[in-house]
Amino acid sequence: MATIRCMRLMHCMQNLLLLPRKTVNICPVFHRSYRRGLRRYLKELYQRRLKAGPEPERHPSQLGIWNHDAELFAFGKRFGEEFDENLLKRAFVQRNYIIKEENKRKELGIDLITVPLGLVDNEDLARKGEEIASRYIKAYLRYSYPHMFEEGICAVHDFLMSHQTLLHIGMNIGLRELIMSAEYPPPEQAYILTFKAVIGALAVSQNVERAEVFVKDIIIPQLIGKDINELWEIVNPMGLLKAMLASEGRGPPEPRLLWHSASATVMSLYHVGLYSDKELIGKSPGETVTIAEEMAARNALKHLMQTTDSRAPLTLGAKAVKIKLDYDKKNRSIRDLLNETVEERLYGTEI
Amino acid sequence: MGSRLIPSNFVKNVMQNGIGRYICQLQRVTIEFCKSNGSSRGTRDFIENYLLDFAKSNPGIVMYLRPRRHKHPHLRAEYLNGYKESIPVANMSKDEVAQWLGILRGRTGVQIVRLRKPWHTDNPSIQGIWHPFMFKDPSINSKPFPKKLPAYKSDKMSATEYVLQLKQEQLKITN
Repeated sequence: MATIRCMRLMHCMQNLLLLPRKTVNICPVFHRSYRRGLRRYLKELYQRRLKAGPEPERHPSQLGIWNHDAELFAFGKRFGEEFDENLLKRAFVQRNYIIKEENKRKELGIDLITVPLGLVDNEDLARKGEEIASRYIKAYLRYSYPHMFEEGICAVHDFLMSHQTLLHIGMNIGLRELIMSAEYPPPEQAYILTFKAVIGALAVSQNVERAEVFVKDIIIPQLIGKDINELWEIVNPMGLLKAMLASEGRGPPEPRLLWHSASATVMSLYHVGLYSDKELIGKSPGETVTIAEEMAARNALKHLMQTTDSRAPLTLGAKAVKIKLDYDKKNRSIRDLLNETVEERLYGTEI
Repeated sequence: MGSRLIPSNFVKNVMQNGIGRYICQLQRVTIEFCKSNGSSRGTRDFIENYLLDFAKSNPGIVMYLRPRRHKHPHLRAEYLNGYKESIPVANMSKDEVAQWLGILRGRTGVQIVRLRKPWHTDNPSIQGIWHPFMFKDPSINSKPFPKKLPAYKSDKMSATEYVLQLKQEQLKITN
């Protein structure tokens, strides 16, 4: 079929152009028979591709489909925020990009003093953004978990500001093509730095409150589906529980075995309850009595700190518009609690 | 192809979108079309009539137009998470193209797979999962073990009882 079509095409062209047949420079490829070499040829191409590896990822600007100004405009609009154009541009510039550009100019023999590059990296903005985010997250967590210890608040804050969380956010807000880094795709650290710099740029473009709302809407929801008690590792839960109960003037925790089952087997189960002043304050199962007791202490702490699974959800979205945060207030820390209990032991409860 | 081989997943929300604020996940659309070919007729009409309005109402989406001579038209979409989707829109009317663009705009950028459940939760129960001791009262722990064990009662006489009865009758006769 291909052969006939080619022949017909050739004759059509010759008729159309009204030229003598010999002068027409058309060379159709004829395949009159089964192409025996084709399979081997394709196989060779395939092997060569395997050897050469995949095509390196290229920035869309190299493919000719890129409008940097339009992308920057859309980036701000996507979040419903008004950015200062120059600040937003600066938020994406990495330090290594500037070094690379300067070296490129030096190689070309362009004097950097007479023709300055005019680029500022995003590290100042990132520092500012990190400060704002960190301050707001701590205040928000203290507002949401007023009975949790300061150490726990710091642990949850560290999770939200961790490499892993910020990288997840950075990779999902469309920074990949916008980051100006020496290499493409940009390294992980560039995503984190740029995300922080975007917060900083927003604070400078508008105000700090606006940047804080941005933090609340983007970073805080990453806590959803996470157990905050798992994020904070308590080394000695029973010791902490004793100190807590003592500071409240309640009796010390007394463990009691509530239930046990299959004791002599590998599937053994012990259910331990903790009582203070004959009142059940926490209970938990475990493989051994010791584990169950420790888990019961953790359960009791959860109840005392009001961080159980049945707690109220975080105030976010439309409800969170009216909340007023106190940035200076700090939750009680374990160190304060231990100091209190030591003082009580030394001087009695009257003081 | 069995249902086990088809990729499946649970309903997902990218980055908890919409809980704080809604961010449209579609970031870039390249409309590839031919300026002369008939299959791009509807796409060209779409560009003439609807594209500006669409771009104005969605400032967060960057629109690129890419004339490709003698090629079928495509909508090439890129999402915030890096996922790329291409919709062939050859021979479609301008309204159909607009509908496809609407579908692309509403998506999260997560690949379409078979959903195992139409809902998903990370916390199946906020009260804690059920266990055999859940509603048992601990007070029954302190109950003493009954001294007299319950015995099986049959309406028929047992062999022991029968022998005892015979013995008693024998004793009566001897007395």
